[in-house]
Amino acid sequence: MAMLEVEDLKVYYDTAEGAVKAVDGVSFEIEEGENLGIVGESGCGKSTLAKALIGILPQNGYIAGGEIRFRGEDLTEAPERRRRELRWDEISMIAQSAMNALDPVYTIRQQILEAIEAHHNWSRTKSQERIDEMFDLVGLDRERQTDYPHQFSGGMRQRAMIAMSLVLEPSLILADEPTTALDVIMQDQILKRINEIQEASSASMMVITHDVAVVAETCDRVVVMYAGEIAEEGPAAAIFDEPYHPYTLGLKSAFPNIREADQDLVSIGGHPPDLHDPPTGCRFAERCPMATEVCSREDPPEVEVGGLRSYCHHVDDIDTQLRPVADRAETWQNTDAADDRGLADD
Amino acid sequence: MSQKHERSIFADVEEYESDEEFSAWRRNLRLWRSTLSEQWRLLTDDSLVVAAMAILGGFILLAFVAPVVAPHDPLERMYTESGLIAKWIEPSFLGGEGDFLLGTTAQGYDIFSQLVYGARPALLVGFVAAVMTVGIGTMVGLTAGYYGGYVDDFLMRLVDFVYGLPLLPTVIVLVTVLGAGLDSIILAFVLLQWRTSARVIRALVLSLRERAFVKAARVSGASNWRILSRHIAPNVLPMAFLYGAFAIAWAILTEAGVSFLGLGDPNSVSWGVMLQGARVYSAMTEGTWWWFVPPGVCIALVVISGFLIGRGYEEIVNPELQVEQ
Amino acid sequence: MGKLNFFVRRTAQLVVTLWAVATALFMLFRLMPGDPTSYIVSPQMTPEVRQRIIESYGLNDPLWVQYLRYIENLATLDLGRSFNTNSEVSEILATYLPNTLVLMLSAFVLAYAVGVTLGVLTGWYRGSRFEKSTVVTALVGRSIPSFWVGILVIWVFGATFGVIPLSGMTSIGTEPEGFVDMVTSLDFLHHLVAPMLVLAFYYMGYPLLIMRNSMLETLSEDFIDICRAKGLSERAIMFRHAARNAMLPVLTAAAIAVGFAIGGSVLIETVFGWPGIGREMIRAVMRRDYPVAQGTFLVLALSVVLMNFVADLLYGVLDPRVTYE
Ligand SMILES: Nc1ncnc2c1ncn2[C@@H]1O[C@H](COP(=O)(O)OP(=O)(O)OP(=O)(O)O)[C@@H](O)[C@H]1O
Ligand SMILES: [Mg+2]
Repeated sequence: MAMLEVEDLKVYYDTAEGAVKAVDGVSFEIEEGENLGIVGESGCGKSTLAKALIGILPQNGYIAGGEIRFRGEDLTEAPERRRRELRWDEISMIAQSAMNALDPVYTIRQQILEAIEAHHNWSRTKSQERIDEMFDLVGLDRERQTDYPHQFSGGMRQRAMIAMSLVLEPSLILADEPTTALDVIMQDQILKRINEIQEASSASMMVITHDVAVVAETCDRVVVMYAGEIAEEGPAAAIFDEPYHPYTLGLKSAFPNIREADQDLVSIGGHPPDLHDPPTGCRFAERCPMATEVCSREDPPEVEVGGLRSYCHHVDDIDTQLRPVADRAETWQNTDAADDRGLADD
Repeated sequence: MSQKHERSIFADVEEYESDEEFSAWRRNLRLWRSTLSEQWRLLTDDSLVVAAMAILGGFILLAFVAPVVAPHDPLERMYTESGLIAKWIEPSFLGGEGDFLLGTTAQGYDIFSQLVYGARPALLVGFVAAVMTVGIGTMVGLTAGYYGGYVDDFLMRLVDFVYGLPLLPTVIVLVTVLGAGLDSIILAFVLLQWRTSARVIRALVLSLRERAFVKAARVSGASNWRILSRHIAPNVLPMAFLYGAFAIAWAILTEAGVSFLGLGDPNSVSWGVMLQGARVYSAMTEGTWWWFVPPGVCIALVVISGFLIGRGYEEIVNPELQVEQ
Repeated sequence: MGKLNFFVRRTAQLVVTLWAVATALFMLFRLMPGDPTSYIVSPQMTPEVRQRIIESYGLNDPLWVQYLRYIENLATLDLGRSFNTNSEVSEILATYLPNTLVLMLSAFVLAYAVGVTLGVLTGWYRGSRFEKSTVVTALVGRSIPSFWVGILVIWVFGATFGVIPLSGMTSIGTEPEGFVDMVTSLDFLHHLVAPMLVLAFYYMGYPLLIMRNSMLETLSEDFIDICRAKGLSERAIMFRHAARNAMLPVLTAAAIAVGFAIGGSVLIETVFGWPGIGREMIRAVMRRDYPVAQGTFLVLALSVVLMNFVADLLYGVLDPRVTYE
């Protein structure tokens, strides 16, 4: 049994214009000690998924169906008290923008201590030792625990955030774009640190990002999301070396690849569908160079191919038709909804 | 939600320069019209705002047709059949003699007629004062925010200073110096209250000044006047309107308060003056509620309407405050 | 160092503002068209008496001499003598100011405690029926003229049921020895209840609405999500984090609110016959007792300016991000 099993999860938001189907029937698993990456364009429901897992959806958001089983226990059915016990102690998170993830009016130490006190009756000295340990682990000066968040740089705040997320030794850490707010060098450092910690502890991690490089560097397995659904899923190496879903191919070509020096960056034309009223059939059909009439009529089948789980009608033709031309910009522009805006500038 | 405003005066007038089919100003007109009608639609979606508008509209109508509605001159003494001054008469529906819908005051005036005529000074003060305060406040805010530097420093120190003055006491002192009367009340109110809109609009202009379309206009050599009138003013207008609605409410409350303290013109009719009369003649201990309850209700209704419309508009202009659903 | 510097600069600003207010007041009374002496001399006086008074007040000196003497007197807290009772203005202030402070502070504390708590709750339970009705009640509370509510309270609870005194601060016949003795007497509390509650109801709307808006803004911040993810209880998040952060703008607003509050208390003191500084100011204005009017006004203005100052300092204590640059 996997540590976390998500089955056909649906998360909707109530709005004046109707329900936004931000996550619409997503299934995946995370094993003990595994690193799972979630990638996809802005707005495809990544943060929503994380919030649903830890149980902090905003007031207008709700779980419309499916199950989230943590070590066999269905969290969607669990009473609020039980869910609160699990938060941070078992499942913690690193927020999308660490810049604002710390309360500006309390010191870092107070905020970490608060997380401890919400779950354990540790003695002062034990708590303090633990906080010191965490500061050492993430490479922060112990002396600066009593600083306020604004006295920290962006990178330091992110480290403090990581220290806080690890303090209770959770089994699963949800990292929502842990590095987007940082400069490239700092991104690298933080990622390395996260990897080291990950290897040292037995915690599993779910890393959310729209930066393919981050996933390639840190994850064992990857889920590619598109418009609230899973497009493709599989081992990180396979996903990036030989994906089968046209969307993954486009996504891959849209990011600089370290191995291929002078490669053109492409962007996928058009934009993701409105999640109030998503199109029938394959949601990517509108922007897909491979799309045929069947794509917008029928839901794509789940296909096991090359070690991946791929949702596409045309898996068999990818190798011959799309892969050879995937890194050409024109390939992604001649779709119905072609538009000058695309993935790369998101 | 924000996409709706895409073709609106708030985006930027200049963006549509390429539509050749219309002359610049017909295009502007069309944009203004569509934006205003869009806002009107949003505004009238809120049932509270609609009720407030209806109430305010009712009072405006009442102010215009006062001579038709009021059975008597509000400052004409009433006499009983026996020729005595008709003082402290109960309302006709409570069986009071004569035919006074809300009875008479201690001086023998018809309360209902006073009430009807009272709508006039209230609305006059409200609208004139609101237009003036917001007009001055907007000009000051635009100037300070747009030109910055010493101009800004000077104007903002001035605003700080005016903020050091308590509203009602200052209005009272000014009214004593200027002489009782609606005009001095309005003038005194305006002299103080422009501070609020000046501060808010300056902050708004400061942020607008940094926006891409204003910078672009400046780089392309547009004159200050052109930038102010074409790019900044249209964006500032909704905020000005918002503060205008609040200013109506505050002005009416201030006029009522000043008159209630006995500093209004004693030979005029207003709801505040009516309440002052009621207090001076101890109508509370007499229990003649028909004298002092109706004017208060009228003031409250008009003021609440102003606040509700302002708030309804605030939620459109400032969508963070929008209540979900 | 930074803190000290800030304090010194802010104090200098305070002094400048006070000077500006005092100067404005001076000009207001002396530079008005007409005979400035008409405020202090009555037509019934013989020319000799008149001349003596004018001289004793130095009204024949050039304006700038008068102005310098005026500022000098203010600086030494010499506010002159009442034209009416000939007692020192500073003594009059010392008598009435504590009464005002007791009433205002108790109402303010109550209003802020209730208003802020309701603001936190309405922000937290956004979109609920509770929120809507509370916000509308708060708006209504701000719109109904406070003095009219006072009139209604006196009518219902004073005149009709007789459970509160009609007027004043102590019953006739009770002779409390000193201020402390009076304030702690049951009789005083009995007199205090009605004006305090009316005033508190009037003050309450402002912190409530500001706190609600501020809460809405704070609740959308990322750190609130993290607090929830940490498994904190709802109460802890609501008060320890959300309210604590949302408090900051309410504090700044409190300073401005004092400006309004003073206006409200002037009216309430008049309605309830509360011997405070606001009512004294109105009476002085009506009697043209110029030194008393000026003194009371300066005290009211001082309290506004001072509160702005205090709020600025407090802000620095409560928000660790303030750097005093
Ligand atoms: N509170 C909300 N109310 C209504 N719709 C929402 C709400 N929060 C998110 N959404 C919508 O749900 C969809 C998914 O949002 P989500 O934040 O999960 O995207 P994301 O994949 O995390 O994007 P990003 O990469 O930009 O963080 C978007 O279309 C968004 O507009
Ligand atoms: Mg996100």
